[in-house]
Amino acid sequence: MEKYMILAPQKENGGLFMQPVIQDNVAHIVYDEARAAQPLKTFLLPPLDEVVGKKVQAEKPWLFLGIKACGLAALPILDQAFGGDFTDPIYQKRREESFIVSSDCTQPWETCFCTLVGGQPYPVKGFDLNLSKVWDGFVIEVGSLRGKTLLEGHDEVLKEVVREEATALEKMRNETTKKVEEQNRDFKFEKRHREVVSGNWESEVWERHSETCVECGACNHACPTCHCYFLDDVTRKTFVKLRGWDSCMYSGYAVTAGGGTPRPRLYERFRNRYFCKFKYLDDNYGMYGCTGCGRCIEGCQGKIDMRQALKDLVKN
Amino acid sequence: MGPQNNPYQSQKAVIQKIIPETSGIKTFVVQPESGFSFHCGQFAELSVPGIGEAPFAMSSPCFKSEQLEFTIQNVGYMTSRLHAMKEGDIVGIRGPYGNGFPLDDFYGKEVLLLIGGVGFPPARTLIYSLLNEKNKFKRIILCYGARTPEDVVYKYQVEDFRKKIELYMTVDKADKNWRESEGVVTVLLDKVKVDLKNSAAVVIGPPIMMKFGTFKLLEVGYQPKDIYLSMERKMYCGIGQCRHCMIDHYFICKDGPVFTYEQLKNFPNIWE
Repeated sequence: MEKYMILAPQKENGGLFMQPVIQDNVAHIVYDEARAAQPLKTFLLPPLDEVVGKKVQAEKPWLFLGIKACGLAALPILDQAFGGDFTDPIYQKRREESFIVSSDCTQPWETCFCTLVGGQPYPVKGFDLNLSKVWDGFVIEVGSLRGKTLLEGHDEVLKEVVREEATALEKMRNETTKKVEEQNRDFKFEKRHREVVSGNWESEVWERHSETCVECGACNHACPTCHCYFLDDVTRKTFVKLRGWDSCMYSGYAVTAGGGTPRPRLYERFRNRYFCKFKYLDDNYGMYGCTGCGRCIEGCQGKIDMRQALKDLVKN
Repeated sequence: MGPQNNPYQSQKAVIQKIIPETSGIKTFVVQPESGFSFHCGQFAELSVPGIGEAPFAMSSPCFKSEQLEFTIQNVGYMTSRLHAMKEGDIVGIRGPYGNGFPLDDFYGKEVLLLIGGVGFPPARTLIYSLLNEKNKFKRIILCYGARTPEDVVYKYQVEDFRKKIELYMTVDKADKNWRESEGVVTVLLDKVKVDLKNSAAVVIGPPIMMKFGTFKLLEVGYQPKDIYLSMERKMYCGIGQCRHCMIDHYFICKDGPVFTYEQLKNFPNIWE
């Protein structure tokens, strides 16, 4: 385990935050409950990162504990964006070396809505190991060869899952799923998100729902799939280059040297974010850029709720 | 991690020569340390060390990889610093990026270039490529517009080009020495008779010029699939990651910068 930097959800001021695990706080790791405040991109693609100049080899790989299904669901987008024709070797190294131990969600936040976007509150893929808390132990699911290898030689703490435990796990999962569905009852619709958004370029919803936006970029920065960045040259000598998180809600986001921008008005940038989530990313990577984690709702200073905006578009 | 496997890493290039074009435009002749092969219509990310990086189209022939030319207008923070540089200074370069012009599509056709202002640099690269296989094209027609006679780039090459291709020029505001047309670039299209069934048009220039240029070509009778646009937007990465340059789901940097109007015509706000 010395091989890894371990990060796990810990309680702080009523929230859950990914914190480095040290001797003193091992007992306070929250495996179940809900997703932590920071999405995985915080660690795989840090807010400000040296992409030219750094010796990334020196970094210890991450071991993530307590990642929820909505966190895992974001990774295929990042993998495609930073893989492909121009692979980012830094992301690739961090991603390949990270070990992911996920967990079932048991107490979703009020803002959680994974079930509205095709997800479910328990991991089904994308993890090395998944831990589901059942009674006084964990049901462990192996998701990769690395996960299997890690368990080898620890038979003293492992035993076969008995039928009662499997039943209890299924019951727990159904209950959490129902809970998420129940709290999103008013936001549910049958139409595909892609159609709802792309059929509504001209809608008063964009202006109405962006009225309270203060352009802080929290929705982008908290989002597990948002990955727009800027590049910045920093030193005269060695061509050191920084990559930092950008936000498509900022008025300067797409401004050219000549001063032009395709989205000068706030509602246009707001609309663009929804189009990106449910159309452009779908076209680019075959999936929506929303996993229903609810961080954009939780972090919004203007109390903008994506679920309500989408529902209002459907009503149109 | 070397430039070969880090897509953000630039190679060094020496500025060998600076050619003043107009009061605000200069051509930089640069020599990249380890060569730079590209296809006409592609672009590079040029950086001023410690200042920043921006995308520019090469303006030199694409069959010349040891020395590149960039014709750049002083219009923002990065370009103002670039304009302050001297021969012998070092810049960074990475690329080439983008798809470039589909020359195969132009074979056997009348190729009409509708070019505005500082859209000439990528057009010049295209002209070199067209001239390189001149017998494969039925006609090469360049319609070029600038604001004033002073704003015309490559003045020293105009007469040479006139010998090799059909060249029409206009300025928005003429002076007493100007012998060509006066008016926006689209006025030139009234002078050119093309075989619409067998012609491709290429439009490069500032957004407003591209918009009205495209509309005029449609009015003249060009099909959207025969109009090729070299698009521009704010861009950082050049490699289809940072998402700043998107038009709908297209990355201008990776899927473009060359698109047919057919590909873009249904998207709103493509000209801004």
